Amino acid sequence: MSVVLLIQYTLIFSSVLLLVALGGCFSEHSGVINLGLEGIMVIGALGGALVMRFLPAGTPGILIVLLTLLAAILFGVLYSCLLAVASINFKADQTIVGTAMNMLGTAGATVLVKAINTALNPDDHSSTIQYITAKKAFIVNIGAFEFNWFMLVAVIMLAFAYITLYKTKFGLRLMACGEHPQAADSVGINVYRMRWSGVLISGMLGGLGGICYILAGVSEWKFENGVAGFGFLALAVMIFGQWKPLRIAGAALLFGLFRALSNVYFGFDWLVSLNLPGTVYNMMPYIISLLVLAFTSKKSRAPKAEGIPYEKGMR
Amino acid sequence: MKKNLLKNPAVQSLIASLLCIFLGLLIGYIVLLFINPAGAWDSIVEVVKNFMHSPRPERQLRSLGTTLVRTAPLLMCALSVLFAYKVGLFNIGVAGQYVAGVCAALYAALAWGWGWLPCMLFALAAGAVLGTLVGLLKAYCNVNEVISGIMLNWITLYTTNMLLSKVKEVASPYTLHLTSNAPQALLPTLGLGRFFSDNQYVTIAVPLAILFAIGVNIVLDRTRFGYELKATGNNRNAAKYCGMAEKRNIILTLVIAGALAGLGGSMLYLTDLEQWSVTATSVPGMGFNGIAATFLGGLNPIGTIFASYFIQHITDGGTNVDLTMYCAQISDLISAIIIYLCGFVLFIKQSMNKRIAKNEELRLQKARLAAEEGGTK
Amino acid sequence: MESPYAIEMLHITKKFPGIIANDDITLQLKKGEIHALLGENGAGKSTLMSVLFGLYQAEEGEIRKDGKPVKINNPNDANDLGIGMVHQHFKLVECFTVLDNIILGVEPNKHGFLQKQEAREKVMALSDKYGLHVNPDALIEDITVGMQQRTEILKMLYRDNEILIFDEPTAVLTPQEIEELMQIMKNLAAEGKSILFISHKLAEIMAVADRCSVLRKGKYIGTVETKNTTMEQLSAMMVGRNVNFHVEKGPCKPGEVILDVEDMSVASKVHKNDAVKHVSFKVRKGEIVCIAGIDGNGQTELVYGLSGLEPLKTGSIRFKGQDITHASIRKRNTSGISHIPEDRHKHGLVLDYSLEYNMVLQRYFEERFTSKAGFLKRAPIREYAERLIEEYDVRSGQGPITPARAMSGGNQQKAIIAREIDKEPDLLIAVQPTRGLDVGAIEFIHKQLIAQRDAGKAVLLVSLELDEVMDVPDRILVMYEGEIVGELDPKTTTQEELGLYMAGAKRDEVKA
Repeated sequence: MSVVLLIQYTLIFSSVLLLVALGGCFSEHSGVINLGLEGIMVIGALGGALVMRFLPAGTPGILIVLLTLLAAILFGVLYSCLLAVASINFKADQTIVGTAMNMLGTAGATVLVKAINTALNPDDHSSTIQYITAKKAFIVNIGAFEFNWFMLVAVIMLAFAYITLYKTKFGLRLMACGEHPQAADSVGINVYRMRWSGVLISGMLGGLGGICYILAGVSEWKFENGVAGFGFLALAVMIFGQWKPLRIAGAALLFGLFRALSNVYFGFDWLVSLNLPGTVYNMMPYIISLLVLAFTSKKSRAPKAEGIPYEKGMR
Repeated sequence: MKKNLLKNPAVQSLIASLLCIFLGLLIGYIVLLFINPAGAWDSIVEVVKNFMHSPRPERQLRSLGTTLVRTAPLLMCALSVLFAYKVGLFNIGVAGQYVAGVCAALYAALAWGWGWLPCMLFALAAGAVLGTLVGLLKAYCNVNEVISGIMLNWITLYTTNMLLSKVKEVASPYTLHLTSNAPQALLPTLGLGRFFSDNQYVTIAVPLAILFAIGVNIVLDRTRFGYELKATGNNRNAAKYCGMAEKRNIILTLVIAGALAGLGGSMLYLTDLEQWSVTATSVPGMGFNGIAATFLGGLNPIGTIFASYFIQHITDGGTNVDLTMYCAQISDLISAIIIYLCGFVLFIKQSMNKRIAKNEELRLQKARLAAEEGGTK
Repeated sequence: MESPYAIEMLHITKKFPGIIANDDITLQLKKGEIHALLGENGAGKSTLMSVLFGLYQAEEGEIRKDGKPVKINNPNDANDLGIGMVHQHFKLVECFTVLDNIILGVEPNKHGFLQKQEAREKVMALSDKYGLHVNPDALIEDITVGMQQRTEILKMLYRDNEILIFDEPTAVLTPQEIEELMQIMKNLAAEGKSILFISHKLAEIMAVADRCSVLRKGKYIGTVETKNTTMEQLSAMMVGRNVNFHVEKGPCKPGEVILDVEDMSVASKVHKNDAVKHVSFKVRKGEIVCIAGIDGNGQTELVYGLSGLEPLKTGSIRFKGQDITHASIRKRNTSGISHIPEDRHKHGLVLDYSLEYNMVLQRYFEERFTSKAGFLKRAPIREYAERLIEEYDVRSGQGPITPARAMSGGNQQKAIIAREIDKEPDLLIAVQPTRGLDVGAIEFIHKQLIAQRDAGKAVLLVSLELDEVMDVPDRILVMYEGEIVGELDPKTTTQEELGLYMAGAKRDEVKA
C-alpha cells in the first residue's frame, strides 16, 4: 500500500520537476537564464486554479482538464514576457529580473486571490482557492493507484522537448543561439526572436508545472505560500540533467522520490524506526540538490552564452 | 551647469530610484483600480502615509517607532546583499541567513538563557556559517550562488522550525515571549523609546543598524579589503592581473554578508516585537525586501538606509489599506515591481547619458554653424 | 559583355573618428582566381572586409558584382550575393556536429523537421569533390582545428557561394594542415570559385595566389602578379621603406641573466594546438629584447605564462636565479616583474576606479598605502598619484580623481606605464605598449623603455609594429606559430629579412 503511494507521489512530483526543468532547459538553450521559474509556476497555477474554481458545475471532466491546462499555459507564457522583454530587449540583469518575478508572482497572486475572495464574501480575507470537484477530473483511480493526467502531460512534454530540440530546425537554431549567438547571427538567424521563443516556451512549461504542483496532493491552495522553491529545485534538476531532456527526466525521478518521501515516510516501518523528525524528510530534496550541485557544477556543460545579453554587431 | 549635475552618477542613481518608486506606486495604483476603483486612491495614499495614518501625534510617533524597529533588520539584509553584490555575487541566501540569525538568537535566549550580547553574536555566527557554505560552494565547486542560496533558505527554514519548536508556547505555534521568559535577552533600549511615545520595542538595534551601514560604507570606501572587493566586482581580469586572491575574497565576502543578515535577524526578534511561528511555510520576506532596498538605494550603503526605510514604510503602510476591498500584500507587490524596474536602471542611466551626449553634440554643432555663419558675414 | 571580375571594390574610403581606415582602396577579384590581400596589422584589411560584408558602410566608392553595382547593407545581403567567409575565429557551435554546423541557417526540412539525410549526401558529395575528408557526425569540439576550418569551407560550399574569402586561414594550422589547405584552395579555384586570401605570410601567398594586392596604413599600394614578383619585393611593399621616426639610444651593455625561460609551453584558449611550443630564451640586465611576430603567433600566451595569468604546460621560468614557475601572480609582481598588459581595458585598469586608485593597483597593499588595521591611507595615495601624474605627464579632466573610464587611450596607457615603471622592476614586460597611440605618446613610451634599459633593468618588449621592432630593442626574437624561429640583431638586419621570418618564409634553429 505505502509502496503504491510512494510511487504515486514520486511520479506526480517528478512530473512537476520534469515540466519546469524542461522549461528552464528551453530558456537556457536559447541563452537566457530563467531564475523566475518559481514566479512563473505561481502565475500558471493561478491561471489553472481560477478556471477550476469558476467553471460551472457539471462541466465535462475532459473540458475541465483542457481548459485548466490552457489557462495555466496562457498565464505562464504571458508572465514570462516580463523576463523576455527585460533580459533580451533591455539587457537587464537576468538575476535581478528573475528574483523580482518570483516575488511578484507570489505577491500578485496573493493580492488577486484575496481580492476575488473578498469580493465574493466580504469576510473572506484568505488567499486560498478550492477546487475539490474539479480536481477529480484529473484523477483516474487504477486500483489503489491514483493516476493523474499530469503524469501523461509530463511524458508528452518530454517527448515534445526531445523532438523539438534534436529533430527540428527550430531546435537546432535555438541551441545555436545559446551556444554561440554570433555564429547563429552570421548565418542569418534572428537571435532575439529565438531567445524570445525559448523564454516563452519556458513560460508555457513553467505554467504547466505550476498547476501540476498545486494539484499534486491537495484540493485547495493558499497562494501566499508560493511553490516552496520548486522552481529552483527544477533548476537543480536541469543542471543535474546536464540540459538534456532524457537525463533531466532521470534527475526529476530521483528528486521526485525524495520529495515524495516526506509525504509517505510514515508508511514505511524501517523509516519510522530511524526515528528522524519529519522535518528532515522535508529538507531532503533541498539537501540532495545542494550535494548534487556541489559534485556536478564544476564540470557542468551549461550553454556557453547563457546569461550574456546579445548585442547585434558584436562580432 | 545643469548638464553637469545630470552627469553625476549619484544624481543619476537618485533619479533612477525615484523613477522606479514612482512607476512602482503607479502600477500598484492601477492594480488597485482594477480590483476596486472605489477605494484605490485612498488605499494607495494609506500605503504612502503609513504612520501618518493615525490622527493623533502620539500614535503616529509610536508607529513610526515600530516601522523603525522593522527597518533595522531590513537594512541589515540590504547591506548583506549590497556587500556581496560589490564583488559580483547575488546573495539571495540573505533570507535564510536572516532566519538562521533569528533561530540562533531565540534559541540561545530561551533555551540557554543567554544575555542579549551573546545572543546577537551567536546570530551573527549562524548567518556567517551559511554565508561560508555558499561561498565555499561558489569558489570551489562553481555552484551558482542563487541556487545554493535558495536551497539553504529552505533547509534553514525547516531546521529553524524544528529547533524553535522546543521553545514555543504550549498552546500556539509561536515562540515564547522574551519579556516574560528571557528578559535578559531583550536588547537594551537606552531610553530610546521615550522619543516614540514610549515604544518599548525601539532599542539600540535601530542606531546600531545605521552604524553598520556607515561601517559598510567605510569598509567599501576606505579599506584595502573594500578596494579589492570592488576591483574584483568591476573587473575580474584586472583583479587577477594584479594578484588579488579571488577565491578568498569571494568566501570572505559571503561570510560577512551572512553575518550581517544573521545579526539582522537578532535585531528584530530580540526586541520581542514579533515571535517566530514554527509552522512557517516560507522564509519571511525580510530578506527579499532587502534585495529591493539594495537596488533602490543605488547600491550605496547610505542610500540603502533611506531605501530600507521606504520599503518598510510602505510595507507597514500596506496594513492600513481598506481590508474590506484590498489586502496588505499590495505593498509586497509594489516592492516586487520596484525590484523588477531596478533591473532597468542600467538602461535608464545609459539612455540618460546618451541623451546628454546627443544634446551636447547638437549644441556644439549649433555653435559651429553659428561661428561659420558669423565668419561668412 | 560579361565582366571578368566576380567582385570589385572600387575607390573605397572608410573613415573613423580621427583615422582613415580605408583611403581610396580598389580591389578587383577575377573569376576563378586566388587573390591575396597582403598587409600588416592595422593596414585596413579587416575594415575593407567589413565593408564588403555590410558591417560598415563606406563613405565613398562602390561595390560591383559581375560588373553591376550592388548595395550591401548587412551580412545577409553578402550571403545572397554568394559571398562567404571563413573567419579567423571560426563561427562554429562547439557542441554541434559538423553536419549541424553546416546546415545551420539553411536547414533542409519538411514541416520544420530536419531532413538530415539529404544534407548529409550533399555534404559528402562536396567533401569528396574538393578532397575535404570530413566526418559529418563528429562533434566540432572533438576535431582538429584543420577539420574545423574545412567545416567552415563546407558551410560556404553548401550555400553554393561563388566568392570565398579566407581571413588569415593559416594562423591556427600546423604546417601539414597548411599544405592541405593550399591544395584545397587550388581545387576550389580550378572548379571556378573565386578566392580572396587575406594573409601576411609571404611564402603562402607566393605558393597559392595568382595575384596579390597590398595595403599599407589604410592606403592601396598596388596589385602584382605573383609569378612576376619575389618575396623581397612583396615584403618591401608591405612594410614600406620610410622610417617615420628614429629612437636615439646608446650602446647596449648587457649584464647577468635576469629571466631564464626553458622549454615553456602554454595551452591555447582558442584551439587545441599549444599556443606556445617549447620556447626557451634568456633576458639579461641592461638590454631590451623584443618578441616580434604577426599577431596570434603565441606572443600573448607567452606573456600570460610569464606573468602567471596562465599555467605552463611544460618547462620552467627562473627569475633572478629563483624558480618562479609556480609562483603566484602577486609573488611575481612583488619580486620585481612589471607587466604592461596587452589589453589595457581587460587587464590594465579598473575603469570604474579613479586614476589615483588605478595608480596603486600593484602596490595598494604596501605599508605606505595601507595601515596595519587595513585602512587605505588616502593622503599618501593622492600624493603618490600626483607625483606620477606629474612625472609621466598623464593628462586628465580632474587629476587624480578622474574616473579611468573618462580618460583618453593614450593617457590611460601612460598611467599604466607610470605605475609599472615606478615599481622599479628588474624586468619590465611591455606588450604592445604603443598600440593605438599617437606619435608623441609613442616617442615618450620608447624613451621610457630605453631609460629602463640604461638604468640596468631588463626589458622584454612584445611588438607587432615593424618600426618599433627595428628601432627600440637590442635583440629581436621572432615568434612564428608558437616557436621562436629566429634571433636577429636590429643593427644588422633589414625589415625585409625580419618580414621573411615573421611570415614563416625563413627560420633558423635558435639556441636558447
